[in-house]
Amino acid sequence: MKKVLIVLSTSGTSEEAIDYAVKRAKKDGAGLIALYLLETGLASEVFDKFSDIGFIGDKPSTQLSESIMKEYRQRGYEELGKVQIRAMEEGVEFEPLMEQGDFMLKVLSLIKTMDVSTAVLVKRRKRSFLKYFSRSMADEVKEKALCEVVLFEEG
Amino acid sequence: MSVEIDTRPIWVILILKALRPAFYLAVALVFWGLIAMPTPEGLSPEGQKAIAIFAVCLILWVSNIVPLAITSLLAIVLVPVMGVLPTRETYAIFGNEAVFFILGAFILAGAIMHVGLSTRIALNIMGRFGRSPRQLLIIIFLLAAVLSFFMSEHAVAAMLFPIVLEISKGLGLKPGKSNYGKLLFFALAWGCVIGGVATFLGGARVPLAIGILKETTGATIGFLDYTIAVLPLVLVMMPVGYFFLTRSYPIDVTDVDKAHGVLVHRLKNLGKISYREYAVGLVMALTIISWMSLGRSLGLATIALSAVVVLFIFKLVKWKDIEEYVNWGIILMYGGAIILGTALDRSGAASWLVTEALGAWATTPWMVFAVFSFLAIFLTEAMSNAAVIAILLPVSIGLAEKLSMDPAIVTYAIAVPAGLAFMFPMSTPANAIAVSSNHIKVRDMVKGGFIMCITSWVVFNLVAAWWWPLIGMGYSR
Repeated sequence: MKKVLIVLSTSGTSEEAIDYAVKRAKKDGAGLIALYLLETGLASEVFDKFSDIGFIGDKPSTQLSESIMKEYRQRGYEELGKVQIRAMEEGVEFEPLMEQGDFMLKVLSLIKTMDVSTAVLVKRRKRSFLKYFSRSMADEVKEKALCEVVLFEEG
Repeated sequence: MSVEIDTRPIWVILILKALRPAFYLAVALVFWGLIAMPTPEGLSPEGQKAIAIFAVCLILWVSNIVPLAITSLLAIVLVPVMGVLPTRETYAIFGNEAVFFILGAFILAGAIMHVGLSTRIALNIMGRFGRSPRQLLIIIFLLAAVLSFFMSEHAVAAMLFPIVLEISKGLGLKPGKSNYGKLLFFALAWGCVIGGVATFLGGARVPLAIGILKETTGATIGFLDYTIAVLPLVLVMMPVGYFFLTRSYPIDVTDVDKAHGVLVHRLKNLGKISYREYAVGLVMALTIISWMSLGRSLGLATIALSAVVVLFIFKLVKWKDIEEYVNWGIILMYGGAIILGTALDRSGAASWLVTEALGAWATTPWMVFAVFSFLAIFLTEAMSNAAVIAILLPVSIGLAEKLSMDPAIVTYAIAVPAGLAFMFPMSTPANAIAVSSNHIKVRDMVKGGFIMCITSWVVFNLVAAWWWPLIGMGYSR
């Protein structure tokens, strides 16, 4: 059975991407895997900042970091819930996943291990001049992935 | 167990692995080059070594490749080893009054957070006065600022963040899409930043600056004197910040009843106010009154440490609790920065740097004030405010002496703007927290922060030119 993967994350989601992934899964007769990636970068950056230049000790720093991660997880559940409802409406088989870690490594390894046929990714909006200086991780996944990759801009 | 294989080309991996050692080697070469070069005319050999140590610390503080406190430790080690100051003198400087004041203030703030007094005050005020979207926004902005008058702005941001997060969730604000969400988190971050400069307690940068001022010139600035001088800046920047935010992001919610429900629920969970909360609040209030009235005669550190002793005598807190709330490593940062500043001054390096590098353009006191405050406000966007003070203050004090300026004035010129970090998440933990909510994008912060930086620099210079003469302060001695 074919598999369509939709990747959402703390840094970007897109209604258009969700809609496309569900319709594509239905059209291909594929199962839909929705991955919500918890990018820990910001939470750990805040924690590091407090440990390095902040004036408060370990306890409040850890509590703060935990409250950020808890919030990210809740947002993840909400986003996955949205995809699930759309999938159920269209009668598409659905599997939710929530993982934490590096965007590119996680997505590429999931594409490989779950034998994904189409991956739908959301990339951050960048100002046009910035596009010359840095590439988005979604673009890099598209280049390296062994399956078809469809990109949407966040929004 | 899964094994992740690095699939990058081997030369990329090798280059990346070699970057850090290569950086350290480059720093060592800079240090060696500055020591080995012929001593310039007018500079003592000790001054040359002090400049070399200063350069190394500058690179490490800016690059942040090692923790800030470790760079300070390196300065503490290098100053006596290189013979810039005798060992005994170096360590005696570490025992500066400013370091103990900072220590006492941290412990007091830790006690307030531990007993939950600060959270209770915040929830009470928000619940009572935040009945409409506009009122709630103003209350969060004011609360973040006013609480930062009494405890570290970083601690205030950490304390208020979960409350503001719950409010935004209660109101169903969508991260990145809701203007009101942006406004709440901007109010939290910028309230802390603006309020944090109002007193000595908003951050350790002012005590650090005064520590360097005292070690190098013997002069000092009183707790109340500082607040009287800086308060107009805070009073102007608060409405400016509010006006700017609400114009940039018009309020897009009509009521905040659900937020009120969240606040009432949290307040109920706290239960009745305890004896400990009353007692810690009383100790804090008496300490602040003593700082204002007896600070010059008894010394700020003596009062702070006395208050800490009282907390423990009455068993209001336990050592274990305090240990978890204080960032002990940061004390090293401040001690080391004071040692470095004193080494630059006593070796004659600061005055040499002033004569050689700044002598041509720094001809008038107001220009010195404007340029150093400008440098401080923009450097603090990219690096720790303590590092900004450690880098700029010794040189500016040397310049002040050359131009017969009051060294306390240049201390203000650097210590105050060093706290006004509006632009980047890396500038200050309060900004990092606000961005981590995902309601604010980094580009929103850069755009608004740049305007706030320029505005606050202009306002600060206007306050210095017009307000300070009215309270008996002037650029010249």
